[in-house]
Amino acid sequence: MTHRPVSRGRGSGIGTDSRRIKVGVGELAVATEGETLTTSGLGSCVAVALVDTRAGVRGLLHAMLPTEDGQQRPTARAGKYVDSGIEALVAALRDAGADPRRLRARIAGGAEMLDLTDAVGPRNVERVERCLDAAGIPIVARDVGEDVGRTVRFGAEGRLVVRAADGFERTI
Amino acid sequence: MRVDVRALGACNRLAERGAEQAAGALASLTGTDLAVEVTGASVASGEDLAKSFAGRESIGVSVGLRGGLEGEAVLAFDAAHADALLSLLPGGQAMERSAVTEVGNIALGGFLDGWANYLGKAIDMTPPRYFEADGASVLPDGALAGDGVFLFESRLDATATDLDFSIYMLPDSGPFRDLVVGKTAPAAAPGAKGAAGAGATGAGGGDTAAESSGGGTTAIPYESLSTFASLAKRGSANAADNIAMMTGLETSVDVSRLRFVPLADVPAEVGTEPHAGTVFELRGDPSGYLAILFEEESAAKIAAAMLPTEPDEPLGGMAENALCELGNVMTSGFIDGWANVLGTSISHSPPEFVHDIGASAMSPLVAKLSRRQDYGFVIDAAIRTEGVQARCDVYALPDERELAAALARLSEP
Repeated sequence: MTHRPVSRGRGSGIGTDSRRIKVGVGELAVATEGETLTTSGLGSCVAVALVDTRAGVRGLLHAMLPTEDGQQRPTARAGKYVDSGIEALVAALRDAGADPRRLRARIAGGAEMLDLTDAVGPRNVERVERCLDAAGIPIVARDVGEDVGRTVRFGAEGRLVVRAADGFERTI
Repeated sequence: MRVDVRALGACNRLAERGAEQAAGALASLTGTDLAVEVTGASVASGEDLAKSFAGRESIGVSVGLRGGLEGEAVLAFDAAHADALLSLLPGGQAMERSAVTEVGNIALGGFLDGWANYLGKAIDMTPPRYFEADGASVLPDGALAGDGVFLFESRLDATATDLDFSIYMLPDSGPFRDLVVGKTAPAAAPGAKGAAGAGATGAGGGDTAAESSGGGTTAIPYESLSTFASLAKRGSANAADNIAMMTGLETSVDVSRLRFVPLADVPAEVGTEPHAGTVFELRGDPSGYLAILFEEESAAKIAAAMLPTEPDEPLGGMAENALCELGNVMTSGFIDGWANVLGTSISHSPPEFVHDIGASAMSPLVAKLSRRQDYGFVIDAAIRTEGVQARCDVYALPDERELAAALARLSEP
């Protein structure tokens, strides 16, 4: 799907201020020109928003499952798993001019939506914490868990606006 | 004849790239940012296609194909949505023919480039022919006569303005089917990478190896695929009948078809509106999940219709119980039909009530299935009740390998 990093450009004639980049499930994207990164319908999935404020570079990942370890075959989307997704996002941010040592993380999602699906949400969150810790990236804010769906917007100022299913919105 | 579902996956990605090319072309032409929201390949009978296109006016382009792929490909916009698109173009309505032809040509070109690479053969395309068509006459010749055609559908979503529309790709059924059938060991899939240009894969798109392994367990006889498509329809009809019996409301099935889609796209398809409904785990052959989702208003109406007294809260405890009971009878109707035809035993878990953003409710189901597969069969049916204006969508997500194995057994002597 078309979660194009902005560096690729899409030839649109719209000013960058109004641009929005939608990040689908299992996808990731990087913004370098003030675009708003959005992802919707987070249930058990987890969103990882990384920013290097000084470089003005941000990235957003919408991961579905904790890890690709033990998977039988490579996946179609690098952002499908938390571990490979964070790795790919950090690499993409570095390519776009971010310094990985300056990155700060905000995370949202990882809800426990259904009893039927054995706590995939909390396991996603746990894996995010472990991966970011290993990469030396501090988590500065989080809105995770519970049993509520979320939609997020990651704007130019580097804050993450999290909107819950009931319409309640908070900025972290 | 056998169709490998992994080859279908490869087709699907090619359709996705074609759609991305179209999105890029439209973005340049209109100055509007467009994203490919959903791409799916479906197997549909001529009868179902005629029904689903009834009353629709389309504009688009068709091209004849020679060489590696024979037949005709058509790209169609819903005429109503095309107006919105054209209003954004410099020159407005005056540009209609040339703009549509240009966009169609680019999109079909991208689609066919990918195919040519996949097949390792050149495909020649005749110059695009602009058309305006009513109903199913938009489809290539012969599409309605056969026992099923592959239909590619992509929805483009304009991120800055309200402009959503779909593109349908309908390669001529017979030759296309032979190609898919002939590619039961799609080790050639890596050739498809990069075929449609550098812009066609996003940051998450290291995608070639996904379809190249997996052995022969996913090959399905073509006839069984058609059988299953009709089975999906029967399941929906059973479910609708069960609602009718339970509620006394007249019900009908609007659309029901079998599609093959990237699982990760399913939540986006359900959308971000709040939904209420029930989710079931299916156990047996095949296992999987089934979700029955109503938009909030529909959920409240149908629950109220089932309850003897007006509930205190539209979607409170009483409504939850009613919807769970309804989900139970619908799910039984759905899977009984499958189990009979497949000759297997399928049971379902007790209902789990969900009331949340539609996409969020689907995400754990998709995540769970995604451990084993990137693409999935989705059976979607819209069931409508008369009198009380309510509709629900049923998403059945069977395990790909188990379904393929069960379907393959159908054709064994």
